[in-house]
Amino acid sequence: MRLPKALIALSLALASAAYDGPAASAAEDFFGPHASNHTNNWAVLVCSSRYWFNYRHMANALGMYRTVKRLGIPDSNIILMLADDAACNARNPYPGAVYANAGRGLDLYGDNIEVDYRGYEVTVEAFIRLLTGRVPPGTPRSKRLLTDDRSNVFVYLTGHGGNDFLKFQDNEEISAFDLADAVETMWQKKRYNELFLMVDSCQATSLYSKFYSPNILATASSQVGENSYSYERDADIGVFVIDSYTHFVLEFLEQMNKTSHATMQDLFSKYNFKQIKSNAGVRSDLFPRPLDATRLTDFFGGVAQAEVVDAALGLGDGGSTLSAPNVAQDTAWNEHHEEQEPAAEDEADPELRPEGFRMGSVVVGLAALAGLLGSAVWGV
Amino acid sequence: MESWITPSSLAILRVLVALAPLPDLSQFVHQLATPLTAFPRLKEGVFLYKNAINPYSGGPFRHSPIQLLLFSTILPTGPLAPLLWAAADILGAWCLVQIFRIRGGSIDASRERQIALFYLFNPYTFLSTTALSTSTFDNALYMLAVLFACKRRPAASMLALAVLTTSSLTSLLLLPPLALLLISSPKSGLLYPQPFTAKLQSTVPVVARYFAYLVALAAVSTLVVGDWSWVARTWGATLTLPDVTPNPGLWWYFFTEMFDHFRPFFLMVFSVHLIAYVAPICLKFQHDPLFATVVLQGLFATFKAYPSLADPGLFVNTIAIFPEVFPYLRHPVVTTMLHLYSSLLLVLFHNLWLVQGTGNANFYYASTMVFGLANGFAVTDLIWAGLRAAFGRIPDGWEVTQT
Repeated sequence: MRLPKALIALSLALASAAYDGPAASAAEDFFGPHASNHTNNWAVLVCSSRYWFNYRHMANALGMYRTVKRLGIPDSNIILMLADDAACNARNPYPGAVYANAGRGLDLYGDNIEVDYRGYEVTVEAFIRLLTGRVPPGTPRSKRLLTDDRSNVFVYLTGHGGNDFLKFQDNEEISAFDLADAVETMWQKKRYNELFLMVDSCQATSLYSKFYSPNILATASSQVGENSYSYERDADIGVFVIDSYTHFVLEFLEQMNKTSHATMQDLFSKYNFKQIKSNAGVRSDLFPRPLDATRLTDFFGGVAQAEVVDAALGLGDGGSTLSAPNVAQDTAWNEHHEEQEPAAEDEADPELRPEGFRMGSVVVGLAALAGLLGSAVWGV
Repeated sequence: MESWITPSSLAILRVLVALAPLPDLSQFVHQLATPLTAFPRLKEGVFLYKNAINPYSGGPFRHSPIQLLLFSTILPTGPLAPLLWAAADILGAWCLVQIFRIRGGSIDASRERQIALFYLFNPYTFLSTTALSTSTFDNALYMLAVLFACKRRPAASMLALAVLTTSSLTSLLLLPPLALLLISSPKSGLLYPQPFTAKLQSTVPVVARYFAYLVALAAVSTLVVGDWSWVARTWGATLTLPDVTPNPGLWWYFFTEMFDHFRPFFLMVFSVHLIAYVAPICLKFQHDPLFATVVLQGLFATFKAYPSLADPGLFVNTIAIFPEVFPYLRHPVVTTMLHLYSSLLLVLFHNLWLVQGTGNANFYYASTMVFGLANGFAVTDLIWAGLRAAFGRIPDGWEVTQT
């Protein structure tokens, strides 16, 4: 008799599972058949050039930074790597400001940006260590990519590049093979859910041509053998202020906000040679979802996780989870430490222990010099 | 020339200049202070030594132990130091005038005044002295060595050269021409070259004396320091170039960008390059070893490991004692212009690279290469003039051929 009851219970459970209540249908709407299952967003924005004449690469990265922040990724989830030598450059007629358009409409530098890796910290080694998580001990949180297996990571690279490489800081290169291996390391360490790579440089598609890990979507500004071009120059700044591809992408993203349902396919189908001045490429063979179901905000925007709780939580009474610092323990530690110090001194390097000025040898040396001088001058 | 510009008044002027607070501005300048000669490093070493720490156990000190000994006991490193440096410069100028007289070029006092003026106020050596670079003492010792060689006093000359070698290893290569000078005459042989008649065996006691002095000085150095660490840090620096601080020379940039695999080979090449000049110049100018000495010093100034502006400055000063070759210099104006140009460029690009940060090392290295070109021009022009002087004025219709 128990078996039929179990069978009935099972079938009821299955039926209730199949029943779509109102909350369930809303959830289903949101997640959809091809919805992304990430829970947090990270962005790694790298400008790999330095010097004044690469102003536009700095502006590229800063423009992308502003957009990504506007669409919801917080500074704590953005790693911005810049040489940061444009805004306060002696040649900048607008000190402390970086503009991305000819009329200098919007200052991208402002006073509210957080550059995580600046100046000479932006190296190939730093970038690969950041991606793979093998940063030196003592690296602050703001310089670590603390992604997990539910993170969607947006990696944006801009600078001077060539076939299978991107030039870093005018003295080294990252190769497409290194990048592919770094991303594979990320996959093995479960450091991303989906990764979206965007590259704006010459021959940029070569940088994503070597990937072999799953869940990667990539797009780039120009094909192998093709240059990427800058967009416009500001007459007063005197250099080119933005690149065509990034300008195109940023203009597209400017039309949307956090709640937009615009998809990757919308962006990619708008690529045209006339505006970008090069043949932009897309690589989606490693990406599991269809591009018309992948939202731009899956990568460009931040997912804010809100957990609605019905019950009220009491704070402070009934014992808090944080214990007061154990003062007694601290004193004991201090005493222990003080005891250590005199002992350490005795074990100092014996060679450095003061012996006294080498008076004897100095006097003998001077006498010897005098003797040599005498023998030379008065003839021997 | 004005009559008030006597060598003694110049000396007084030089001493007055020494009293001005110029060292503060210039003692760190890379053009004037190299890792082997910089005054701050000397003070650091003296301080460490006085506090019973071996200054050669790492750190920036690369001066010779003899300098360490003298500056930590009897020579001043404080406010009186500029006077000492001025005195060394005056000594060098006096030596140069004496050499000029011995060579027989001194017709009247005006030429001597010019020589003293140019030695004391040549910007290259003058600035090096105000920067309290120990290359001033190197220059003074070189002048003493040459003077005693002209006076046929081998002991004094070799002692001066040996002391010079302890602080500048490249000076070892000046032994052959000085030895030749000691056994022959300092008189001008450029216009009427005679074959070398003195017996080469007579250089053997001279060379032996030099090495004896060198060994004695090395022994004193080891006694002063306490162990042999000074050898690797001073002489070893010239041979292995551990410190690639920028200077107006040609070695540092080469070795900053070189893979370690090739470093020993190229260090050997650069050192052998210096050695390679000695025999040809001595052979070619055997009729005038003093000229050979000056030419070699000029070559070393261009191509040595850690030159400063004082080394080519010394070369420029010493060519004043060869007025017989001046009519035969082919491009003195070009050389002068190159020197002016490169000295401006050195300062400019150094600032652009290391102060403003808008340039990079290539800028400064380009300016050192122009400087090297200027020095090379000077040396090759002098060599040409020295050889050409033997032919004298060629009358119209005549030609010089080689059979």
